[in-house]
Amino acid sequence: MALLSPTRFLQIHTSAVPRRRKPSPSVACSAENPDLDLSPARSSIPSLPAAPSDRKSNLAVFASATAGVCAASGGGFLFHFSSPPPPSGGGIGGGGGGWGWGSDGGGFWNNVFSPLPASASEDDQVSGVEWDSHGLPANIIVQLSKLSGLKRYKISEILFFDRRRSSTVVGTEDSFFEMVSLRPGGVYTKVQLQKELESLATCGMFERVDLDCKTKADGTLALTVSFVESTWQGAESFQCINVGLMQQSKQVEMDLDMTDKEKLEYIRMQERDYRRRIERSRSCLLPEPVQNEVVSMLRDQGKVTARLLQRIRDRVQRWYHDEGYACAQVVNFGNLNTRQVVCEVVEGDITQLSVQFLDKLGNVCEGNTQLAVIHRELPNQLRPGHVFNIEAGKQALRNINSLSLFSNIEVNPRPDEKSEGGIIVEIKLKELEQKSAEVSTEWSIAPGNFGRPTLTSIQPGGTVSFEHRNINGLNRSIVGSVTSSNLINPQDDLSFKIDYVHPYVDGVTNPRNRTFRASCFNSRKLSPVFTGGPGADEVPPVWIDRAGIKANITENFTRQSKFTYGLVMEEISTRDETSSVCTHGVRALPSGGLSMDGPPTTLSGTGTDRMVFAQANITRDNTRFINGAVVGQRDVFQLDQGLGIGSNYPFFNRHQLSSTRFIQLRSVEEGAGKLPPPILVMHGHYGGCVGDLPSYDAFTLGGPYSVRGYNMGELGACRNILELAAELRVPIRNTYIYSFIEHGTDLGSSKDVKGNPTEFFRRVGHGSSYGAGVKLGMVRAEYAVDNNSGTGAIFFRFGERF
Amino acid sequence: MNCVLDGLLVYIWAELRNWASIVAKLNSAYYFILVPIRHGTLSTLFPTTRRSPSSPEQNPRRLRSTSPTISLAFLGFDSLGFYRATFIRSSIASGNRNLIQNVMAAQVPREWTGIQQFPVATQNKLHEILGKLKLENASTLTILLMGKGGVGKSSTLNSILGERVATVSAFQSEGLRPMMCSRTRAGFTLNIIDTPGLVEGGYVNEQAIEIIKRFLLNKTIDVLLYVDRLDAYRVDNLDKQVIKAITDTFGKRIWQRSIVVLTHAQLSPPDGLSYDEFFTRRSETLLKCIRMGARIKMQEFEGFILDSPIPVALVENSGRCNTNSDGEKILPSGIAWIPNLVEVVTTVSAKGSKPITVDQKLIEGPNPNERGKFFIPLILAFQYFFIIKGIQRTIKRDIETEKRPAWETWASQKADRF
Repeated sequence: MALLSPTRFLQIHTSAVPRRRKPSPSVACSAENPDLDLSPARSSIPSLPAAPSDRKSNLAVFASATAGVCAASGGGFLFHFSSPPPPSGGGIGGGGGGWGWGSDGGGFWNNVFSPLPASASEDDQVSGVEWDSHGLPANIIVQLSKLSGLKRYKISEILFFDRRRSSTVVGTEDSFFEMVSLRPGGVYTKVQLQKELESLATCGMFERVDLDCKTKADGTLALTVSFVESTWQGAESFQCINVGLMQQSKQVEMDLDMTDKEKLEYIRMQERDYRRRIERSRSCLLPEPVQNEVVSMLRDQGKVTARLLQRIRDRVQRWYHDEGYACAQVVNFGNLNTRQVVCEVVEGDITQLSVQFLDKLGNVCEGNTQLAVIHRELPNQLRPGHVFNIEAGKQALRNINSLSLFSNIEVNPRPDEKSEGGIIVEIKLKELEQKSAEVSTEWSIAPGNFGRPTLTSIQPGGTVSFEHRNINGLNRSIVGSVTSSNLINPQDDLSFKIDYVHPYVDGVTNPRNRTFRASCFNSRKLSPVFTGGPGADEVPPVWIDRAGIKANITENFTRQSKFTYGLVMEEISTRDETSSVCTHGVRALPSGGLSMDGPPTTLSGTGTDRMVFAQANITRDNTRFINGAVVGQRDVFQLDQGLGIGSNYPFFNRHQLSSTRFIQLRSVEEGAGKLPPPILVMHGHYGGCVGDLPSYDAFTLGGPYSVRGYNMGELGACRNILELAAELRVPIRNTYIYSFIEHGTDLGSSKDVKGNPTEFFRRVGHGSSYGAGVKLGMVRAEYAVDNNSGTGAIFFRFGERF
Repeated sequence: MNCVLDGLLVYIWAELRNWASIVAKLNSAYYFILVPIRHGTLSTLFPTTRRSPSSPEQNPRRLRSTSPTISLAFLGFDSLGFYRATFIRSSIASGNRNLIQNVMAAQVPREWTGIQQFPVATQNKLHEILGKLKLENASTLTILLMGKGGVGKSSTLNSILGERVATVSAFQSEGLRPMMCSRTRAGFTLNIIDTPGLVEGGYVNEQAIEIIKRFLLNKTIDVLLYVDRLDAYRVDNLDKQVIKAITDTFGKRIWQRSIVVLTHAQLSPPDGLSYDEFFTRRSETLLKCIRMGARIKMQEFEGFILDSPIPVALVENSGRCNTNSDGEKILPSGIAWIPNLVEVVTTVSAKGSKPITVDQKLIEGPNPNERGKFFIPLILAFQYFFIIKGIQRTIKRDIETEKRPAWETWASQKADRF
């Protein structure tokens, strides 16, 4: 018979999840929660159904940090392809396979899970309860049918007996073991045992299967599953086809009383149908190496057995799941008993992409955001026609999250009811409030007497801010804030910032990503130009006040590489400690007096400059994280071009180029929890200015982002600057230690800054340092030795140097 | 404005930012009064002995408010009775206090009477040298004395002129003011400029340099005498910085017209060293220091040495200096040092290289803000076409070679198949 029916299909349950899942609300056909909740906050989403240990760990995390973590919806995500319950009944004779396809008329593939949740849940209820003794003499074999329907039997032992090999299969790792939902120690009724037997018989793995019970002295039963494994003719080649979205081939009912000729005709027709089906099907994503691996598995085995098929299925599915094709499933093996094994896979083709907006209560509502804004953020791989990949989903989630328009984002694949094997990708979005305003106050605390923290003043400081986001649904926004350290008397120091952001300058459907930004700002900073050298008396500080407007266009090439160009119009005024405008730097003389004839603070010499200049910045950044360590290259070129508009007609070209290389010193395996590689960081920075150079635009040497181990500007202020640095990072546990060496020089250009602030404040103009440190969370603790004085000190800094 | 005042040294002070700074800049050794004078003349010039430093501060304000255009004079006289006056011509009418005035100095050359105090042999030698100079068509010779404080610049000045021109005291440094002494003899004018010490508080005193620079404006320096002590045993970083400061002020060229003068020449060298040996070592280290401080390259310096080395002259200003039979002050080597020094000075000044003329440009240096401005459009074009475009190209390459996650490549492969 086996020879006569070459197109016999093995039916294998369609998920690699062990059959005995812990029942949870979401598993049962995932009716309430079929979601794949992807969180950008988590790098790994343990939702691959293939991993049995992850059964209850798929967390739905809301994108917004404030929202917190919602309840775990256990069970991962399960694709439940609705299909009728497995047909019962004999099939077309037991020669070829235990379960014949021909007669069932059901789905091409059946869900063998269907009875499971029910029995499992029952099982859970029962297991805690008393069980009944079998009430029979010990050590006799009892037929299943002979058991009492009223009793609850405890199974203390389960044995597998391969009749063909006449041996007992031991070891839970045997692939058959997971087929059986019964577990030793469980309590079952006769009906349950019969159901189990039935499902084993229909799964296609066995030609024949039986359950025998052996009574034991303690009243429990030892169960023996005796089986004959299905086998087919040996095959030499392997083909994998994608049968997703394909029409199920209609099986013509085979009459039992067909003549031989009719039977032959029927089989031939089936064969033809199947060939056509293979032709129509699309090829699989499965790459050549995996296919070859399967072929060698087939060759090694000789005969195709059910266990082999199971192993093939596992291998194929593992590849898919490893690659993130979480919806891919091996649904069938066809063409058995020929030279070729055909593996039918439903890969999970996306048939539809739907974007829904939810209101606060979770009801679907009309969103303010234009759909094109969301669509441009989705990777191509999430569009209809592609195979759903969990990584693409994550990418989509990250991209949408980076719009920061939504408080909650969910990307869910959902089985398509209309076309079998299809996936609908649902994107559910909760929009943030469009307008918001905020007032916050604060009291500053500074070290006071004996280092105790004290309030610097009784006056409260604070910030008033407002936001209007997502104007027109196109992610345009106006954000403004006013900050004062003294809210009672805010005219003393008031800093404000108003930003208008206009993305998609070239149109929302244009792939070119350019963003227009206009802002109005002011700032007050301590000028590092007017800083004393080492050991010098304290230099009276000079504050640089800037206020102005800025307009620029940013073109994003990649997530990190971008090009910004625009115009800046600003007024710069320099002030001394008393907030009055000052025109020259001041230095204390040894006699105690003040020398007023320091370097001019401004170009105009009046203490206030106004100027308009063009600004451009191009950043090339291809750094990426390898187990948390940055690897790659980063180059930044920045240019300020004076246009001759402003006080004293400033015309200048101020440019800086900095280049950083993060070189991986040893290749490591990537993956969560793996140790990052040691990294060598090389950094160079050149800056220069041709033309008018006011002191506030001079480059300063020294400081945590220039030459470590020195204070800001301690080494000098100059027209041209060259900084070189190298740092070696060695990972230790989940952080790293590093050692560095840095050098900065003014290239002899300090004298080219008007008034020579470097010399006026007795600075050297160059310096190098070396040291070592450790990264503790956000903080870098480092010991740096500066070579000018030869002394070292410990520093604590926030953030990264490079 | 050419002011000729008998017995007065007159400076015109430049660039006054405010009255407070005047007070700060003028040394407290002098007492100043402020005199309103009519434009360009000195009609009402009267010294007072009021010792209140506050008066100059108050006066100008009043004056400013009353008279539209005035010239002001700071009159000072030091303890020796040398009158000094500073004129400020400020266009107060225009309200611009920052107006930079041209500074001119008027100098009253006096007859060199001090020469008569020298021994006859010295006098004869000096006359001979000056006569030689006159033959070479030079009627003036300006010598600039510079060096650290307390090395004997003023004493040297006094010694050369044979007069007590500059006050010298053993433990006190004189004021911050440079001063120029001019003496004529037989139609030849010798100008010697004495400057304050360049070191203050372990650093080079830029303020002093600033004052010297302004003082020297529009003067021509024939010879620089870099003065240091012979009996200082070592040179340190400070010496280098002093040299560097001088170089920065006048340019490297100044060293071609300079002489290293070592004072306190009459010393007994440390044990185990002969005088000559000590002198050679000392002058060598100092010259090396000059070479490094002035950042003169080795070859350049060699060149200096070969065709015009920086000569080293020894000086002994002390009254206990040995004399020879003619009554000339002599060095341990037996050379009369004053004629020797003057001779060295004349040979250096007679060298081919041009004397250093101190002008506005030299003082302020080339304006770095103007340098290269012309090339900015070219620089900009270069930056755009080579740097920005270059980085853009690498970004494109990055995008192409980016290591994509496998799912993206599988999907695109699949897409290719259809």
